Amino acid sequence: MYPDPDRPRTFGLLDAVVIAAVLAAVVFGWFRVSEVLVYRWDWAFLPQVLFRRDEVSGWWQPNVLLEGLLTTIRLSIWAMVLASAIGLVLGIMATLARLLPRLLSMGYVGLIRNVPPLVFIFVFYFFISSQIIPAIGVDVWARELDGFGRTVMGILLGPADILENLISGVLCLALFEAAYISEIVRAGIQSVPASQTEAAKSLGLRPLLVFRLVVLPQALRAVTPPMANQFILLVKNSAIVSLISVQELTFMGTEIAVSTGRRFETWIVVALMYFVLSYGLALLFARLERRGRRAYAR
Amino acid sequence: MRILGSLAAIALAAVMAFEPAAARAADTQQSLASESVIETIKKRGVIRVGMSTFVPWAMRDKNGDLIGFEIDVAKKLAADMEVEVEFVPTAWDGIIPALLAGKFDVIIGGMSITPSRNLTVNFTSPYANSSLGVMANKKLAEGLAWPEGYNSADVTFTCRRGATPCVYIQETFPKATLRQFDDQGQTVQEVLNGNAHAMISSQPLPAFTVYDNPDVVFSATEEKIDPGNEAFALRKGDPDALNFFSNWILLHRSNGWLEKTHQYWFGGRPWADQVAN
Repeated sequence: MYPDPDRPRTFGLLDAVVIAAVLAAVVFGWFRVSEVLVYRWDWAFLPQVLFRRDEVSGWWQPNVLLEGLLTTIRLSIWAMVLASAIGLVLGIMATLARLLPRLLSMGYVGLIRNVPPLVFIFVFYFFISSQIIPAIGVDVWARELDGFGRTVMGILLGPADILENLISGVLCLALFEAAYISEIVRAGIQSVPASQTEAAKSLGLRPLLVFRLVVLPQALRAVTPPMANQFILLVKNSAIVSLISVQELTFMGTEIAVSTGRRFETWIVVALMYFVLSYGLALLFARLERRGRRAYAR
Repeated sequence: MRILGSLAAIALAAVMAFEPAAARAADTQQSLASESVIETIKKRGVIRVGMSTFVPWAMRDKNGDLIGFEIDVAKKLAADMEVEVEFVPTAWDGIIPALLAGKFDVIIGGMSITPSRNLTVNFTSPYANSSLGVMANKKLAEGLAWPEGYNSADVTFTCRRGATPCVYIQETFPKATLRQFDDQGQTVQEVLNGNAHAMISSQPLPAFTVYDNPDVVFSATEEKIDPGNEAFALRKGDPDALNFFSNWILLHRSNGWLEKTHQYWFGGRPWADQVAN
């Protein structure tokens, strides 16, 4: 999938033909579109929605669209962490010999995976999260923070007034993605040959150590590619929480598109931002995978 | 035992009967008043307003701050209540469930009163009356007579899903095809592209679009269609809040403030240079 670093780099006739064909298709498509589409392209609004000048300090600050991007990044990272933790526990539970943990894990996966994400998000947001989050009182806590604590929280979680909103989004995404991650983890653990476990046992390792030292490291290596896939999906799926008004990239994109009337330009920029995030994540995981392989080869 | 039970019941009934009805009513009154959202707002010092971006009701200016007609209304309301205002931008589809779930205190979002909405939420008296406007594609609909010509299977309308114009189109033009979109922008774009004959939405969007694209689209009619009544929406069972908000609107209707503000945002575009475009 990703270029092999050792492959010979040559540029042949075939490459030239392919590039020319792609360019021709793009140009043809562009002409067709501009013939049908009655639209005046105007990109002048873009810098204004990305940055704004703070009136007090005169510094440049992220404006609506960049703030949406930052929220999407925060949302994705926290959801990934939480989803991985829940998914790991559920995945391990699914491989246990005891019935109860297996049933719990299978029940959860079966329920979440077979419900449309939109329905899950609406049900979760309106029935569950509106009960839980005010009860924890995070927003009160966040509003009362000052000085250093406020700065740290601002970087990690964003502005205090939309914290409750962000947490709903993170919980929604994490609970949803955890069901998929749990299946990946289960498959990874089950892909480790039984002979490995048996060999470890014959060395006299206790079950917990067998799992921690022998099974888990091999399982984690096996699940890196499907996990990368799942994380990229998560970044893009995070757009659906815009429906419960989490102020992330897609939601802010809608606000900008409606306010400025520059719809296509806004959505193209939003798509590019998602692409950069997802592709960056793909590159990161490709690197991790290579490192894992090298460690294995040693 | 059974006799003892019924004796107790009789005794209870007797006490209830002798307790003055006025005292019970006072209790109910007090709890209604103290549970009113007005009290919550005063205690919190912040009124949380649910709204959705829709030009020129509410939109983002160059600094990313919200401006618009209903933003002015909510700010004035908060100032009169001597509290801060906090806006909760919400996706239009989920704005009523979000109000019911307590995400904010009141919807000030250009929501027009409809019987079906009114079964779920309470409405104040209207603070704006915006009519619908029709914007039609010149190439496709130039010769069509309004409204008879548009009631034909060959005509395609667009509207924003869940908005009142959709119902109007279905009732007035039963033969026409109706295509619904979640984003108002798409309803406009489909007509500009010539994929639909006409779109109907609340003014001034159709008027502004015609103003911007005079070669492509035109106003199919100048009559005021289906004048709506936009009001604040509240959770049910709160007479105090309903009374307060309705009278606030009444007051600012009679002193002309609402009319003046409405004229500023809807009459033209003196605010255009505040918005990034």
